[in-house]
Amino acid sequence: MQVSILALPFFALLTNPVFGQDTTVWLDKDASWAVNKPRLQAFGEEFDSALALYQFLEQQAEGGEQLSLEMLTEPAYDWSGIFTRTGGGLSFDPDIRASETTAKLTNSGIAARQAKIDQLAATGGEYDPISDCRPPGHPRWATEPFLHEFIVTPDQTWLINEMVNDVRRVYTDGSTHTLPEDAYASWNGDTIGFWTQGMLVMHTMYLMPGQYQRGTQPDYSNQVEVVERWKKVDGITLEADYWVFDPINLSEPWYSRQSWTELANEDNYLRIRYWDCGENQNNDIITTFDGTSQFPDFDFIENDAAVSTDEAVKRASQQ
Amino acid sequence: MKYLNTMKRISCFAITLFSLLIIPLANAHHSASMFDRSSIVEVSGQVREFQYTNPHSWLLVDVTNEDGSVTTWGFEAEGPSTLMRAGIRKGDLPAGTPITIRGNPMKDGRSAGAWIDAVVNGESVNPRNGFAVIPAAE
Repeated sequence: MQVSILALPFFALLTNPVFGQDTTVWLDKDASWAVNKPRLQAFGEEFDSALALYQFLEQQAEGGEQLSLEMLTEPAYDWSGIFTRTGGGLSFDPDIRASETTAKLTNSGIAARQAKIDQLAATGGEYDPISDCRPPGHPRWATEPFLHEFIVTPDQTWLINEMVNDVRRVYTDGSTHTLPEDAYASWNGDTIGFWTQGMLVMHTMYLMPGQYQRGTQPDYSNQVEVVERWKKVDGITLEADYWVFDPINLSEPWYSRQSWTELANEDNYLRIRYWDCGENQNNDIITTFDGTSQFPDFDFIENDAAVSTDEAVKRASQQ
Repeated sequence: MKYLNTMKRISCFAITLFSLLIIPLANAHHSASMFDRSSIVEVSGQVREFQYTNPHSWLLVDVTNEDGSVTTWGFEAEGPSTLMRAGIRKGDLPAGTPITIRGNPMKDGRSAGAWIDAVVNGESVNPRNGFAVIPAAE
């Protein structure tokens, strides 16, 4: 436990029903959200690290509950179906527009975001690394649209996005994180979790740097870590508390409530299928000279370079 | 369009409003900076090929010019699952289908664009409706 002794009175306040709702249990996104969202943000800010927050929640849950196969038919653990992000567009915090942010940024974080703003102002465009089917990485993963599936088993939960065949694996079998001396960074990092009161609490570390989304959404560093708390709040909706910690780009952890809705799919035509940028030549994307995006070579135009006014297309044709 | 009936659950008003709201998402996999969002091109012709692929689909349309020559236009939309959510299946647009289609044209002069909508057999086809969240029944 990394929580300071000085913070204990604060937790007593948070968990005291006289002063407000207990932030260590689930808070619905209802009419009280304008009050409860800042409370959840403040709750995260009481911890020095994502791991400290995760360990606090784990201690409150007395280590959590091991699921059995029989429990998987209960509504809380039945996450079957085809889902998509409920809303929010390209904004990491779905409560606000994509051109804004609720992140409390460091000077480094402000500079990184300003560079993106300047790029857009100067060129009207950008190049998104996922254009060549690199994964979005986490925590950007939470903002991606398209189809999702969530597979709950007693020992692992798989969080799947159809985009680039992206699977996050959450180990709930009591495994610890990979030891630091053996760890290496990856797009989705290393995630462990536990179940408590129908909620899946997880901690992710060893991540790659990235951006919460393109446009003017902030960047995150390779020191980013995330605590998530997922819950099925009704028959068709999954929601998750996100606390993102990043000592390089965030001066305080960034709280948001993410959501996914199960889609109508009566004929079962919505299915997750393989996703590969190389299967259609017309989906090739290159970076232009001013840092935006371009198609280099359409298969329905005989000589793109002779038609296009973009020097990047002419350059691509010579390679 | 055999699958479009499911979309009739959404009112025309909702579709129109939604189409306006989701424009920033219309190219969710890559920046849309190669398209001129301030312009719209409309062409009429016949479907040459429906490339129903991830991460993006391309509808190729052969357009006969005044001098009798044929220009193939390519219109980009989202991938198959998003098109299905818009009620557009691969089998709906076989080669030879007459079509009038609108898109935001390329900035660099090539005959391609970001698919906004189309009219096929008198029915409106809007791929951007594929980002509408139509929830399952609880």
